[in-house]
Amino acid sequence: MLRVNNIVKQYASHLALDDVSLEVEQGKIFGLLGPNGAGKTSLIRIITQITAPDSGEVIFNGQRLNANHIAQIGYLPEERGLYKKMEIGEQVLYLARLKGLTTAEATKRIRYWFEKLEMESWWHKKVEDLSKGMQQKVQFVATILHEPELIILDEPFSGFDPVNADIIKNEILELNKKGATFIFSTHRMESVEELCDNIALIHRSKKILDGSVLDIKEKYRNNTYWVEFDGDYNPELTADIFEVLQKDTLRGKTILKVRLMAGKTANQLLSALLPIVNIHRLDEVIPTMNDIFIDQVKQEN
Amino acid sequence: MNKILLIIRREYLSRVRKKSFILMTLLTPLIIAGFYGIIIYFSIQGASGTFNKIAVVNENKSLTEKLVSSKNASYTYVGQSLAEMKSNMGKSGYDYVLYLPDFNLGHPDGIQLFGTKQASLSLNSKVTDALENAIRTQKLKESGIAQEDLDKLQSSVNIDNKTINETGNEEDSSAGAITIIGSASGILMFMFILLYGIQVMRGVIEEKTSRIIEVMISSVKPFQLMMGKIIGIALVGLTQFILWIVLTTAISTVAVKIFSDKKDLKQVTVSNTQVKPTKVAADVAEAGPIAYVQKSLASLDLTKIVLVFLFFFIGGYLFYSALYAAIGSAVDSETETQQFIMPVMMPLFVGYALSLSVITNDPYGQLAFWLSMIPFTSPIAMMVRLPYGVPDWQLALSMALLIVGFIGTVWVASRIYRVGILMYGKKTSFREMIKWFTYKN
Repeated sequence: MLRVNNIVKQYASHLALDDVSLEVEQGKIFGLLGPNGAGKTSLIRIITQITAPDSGEVIFNGQRLNANHIAQIGYLPEERGLYKKMEIGEQVLYLARLKGLTTAEATKRIRYWFEKLEMESWWHKKVEDLSKGMQQKVQFVATILHEPELIILDEPFSGFDPVNADIIKNEILELNKKGATFIFSTHRMESVEELCDNIALIHRSKKILDGSVLDIKEKYRNNTYWVEFDGDYNPELTADIFEVLQKDTLRGKTILKVRLMAGKTANQLLSALLPIVNIHRLDEVIPTMNDIFIDQVKQEN
Repeated sequence: MNKILLIIRREYLSRVRKKSFILMTLLTPLIIAGFYGIIIYFSIQGASGTFNKIAVVNENKSLTEKLVSSKNASYTYVGQSLAEMKSNMGKSGYDYVLYLPDFNLGHPDGIQLFGTKQASLSLNSKVTDALENAIRTQKLKESGIAQEDLDKLQSSVNIDNKTINETGNEEDSSAGAITIIGSASGILMFMFILLYGIQVMRGVIEEKTSRIIEVMISSVKPFQLMMGKIIGIALVGLTQFILWIVLTTAISTVAVKIFSDKKDLKQVTVSNTQVKPTKVAADVAEAGPIAYVQKSLASLDLTKIVLVFLFFFIGGYLFYSALYAAIGSAVDSETETQQFIMPVMMPLFVGYALSLSVITNDPYGQLAFWLSMIPFTSPIAMMVRLPYGVPDWQLALSMALLIVGFIGTVWVASRIYRVGILMYGKKTSFREMIKWFTYKN
């Protein structure tokens, strides 16, 4: 539904985006990952039409991005902000009306969401009287109220306690099921990788990797496993099946990080060990996005 | 367009609902009416003044001419000695005792004024005048001038100010009222532009520091947000101004009615005056000072002044508030605004200072003309000039220049604003702002 083609954005002294292209599929959750200052926010500002690119284009539902698309995009910026002196209800209503909702429709939806997220009593409160987490909730509601097709969340879970983070996560999944497309932007890659269908890694203004999370992980798994057992064991017996990368002893148990030799399987590892030791655990070491990112950056350099 | 209306509505309502706004709007007319009352009170006081009975103990043999009583002081010659008068100062019914020793008319000294209270400066100078007059008359008589000739020398002058308008008719005019109206509307204009201009700047900074700006800009164009804010706050200013005029007029009308009903006030003034009043005093006493002030006001076209004020307020406000919006967008907090505010405020201050000094002295001069043409100073300068009479073509030219001026500042400001509002954590310089201005969109 959204295609970014060869975007270049130059600020006074540095290049924020260098020929970045990516595609967000309809109904998917897309992760825009990268460290601080990589260019994520610059890209989002272009998609939300806050700024314009120096060159390149953004295609939204087959059309070149224009002012009519504003109502179909919801944006929760990383820097959360609301008018401090304004009442919550009035404020969300104002933001919704700016997105083109009528007063009646907006009021109805605000009531629905406030009830759903247990915020009914907040209507006449002022923002300055709310905690940071509460403000986040208000802003989340303001972001999704006009039922945008594309919802862009910059650092979606920062500021939430675990309980509220879970509530918001569930709302996101529910909206996604109803057909909303999401873009998550974050530098804390572990916080969203379980939610994302597809990701793009941005580093120093350039896209260095993108694709579906499953594919990427598949590509980066390297036959490494954690094995935990107790009992004596001589590594030489299994040298043809796996090599030991790391060995720890914890409360009488041995923990090994091992890599299978080419062509060997986890089953072969198990059958070699089973006669000798008592096995407690066998895990495949799946690289996190963070690992993959670091790996990629090393390769780049 | 609908969005800009929403923004205007929010900016307007959020300010008009504030307690401070309601309080200011209601209290100011009361304060103005209070000042009006005080001015009237003192003009009555000035006409009647405090009345002093002065006993004169004259030991001077050469001064036979008596001191002439005026409307603030009466002189009664008493036979008692100075010691006697001093000893029953409180009971005698006199406020002061004037002691005239036997001095030489050529060098009058040793004169003393006794009283239970310290004599005021004005009383002192009145007694001095009366005594000098008496001595002068005495001397003139001694040199052989007859009483009739002396009377002929006395004359009372009262200048009636008239201006001739373009059609050749005479109009009453009052330099005093014109200066007051001119300066007052100039000061009011200065205050309004400054106060509401700064409100615009604060509003922009608030949006930046509370970080709502990004949410807003993803819904509306920066220009819409800026203009919505500027127009919304302008409407707040207009609301306040119109309420002030309505309330002040209402309160003043009531107050004047109450004052005018007290007819005895005028009689007190006349009956206490023991000498025959001069022509001016008679005028004031007869018509009352209120009528005098009202007559002065009536000679000015107040409706025109109010309408022109509204135009120049809106124009001047738009001109300056756009610049303030640009400043607000370029900084992260109010403390950083200093270096940018100075150059924007300077012309306003200079216009204000020059208008109140130069124009009130020379309302038709070159400087007055140019000050009232250049948009930076014209709102204030034109208001000060207006009561003196400004040719229509100059008024029209000044208005046209102001319109061109604010379109210019709004254009420049919006180009800085759109970049500035998204800049955080950087110290901005003028060079940087110029660079922002040249960014293409």
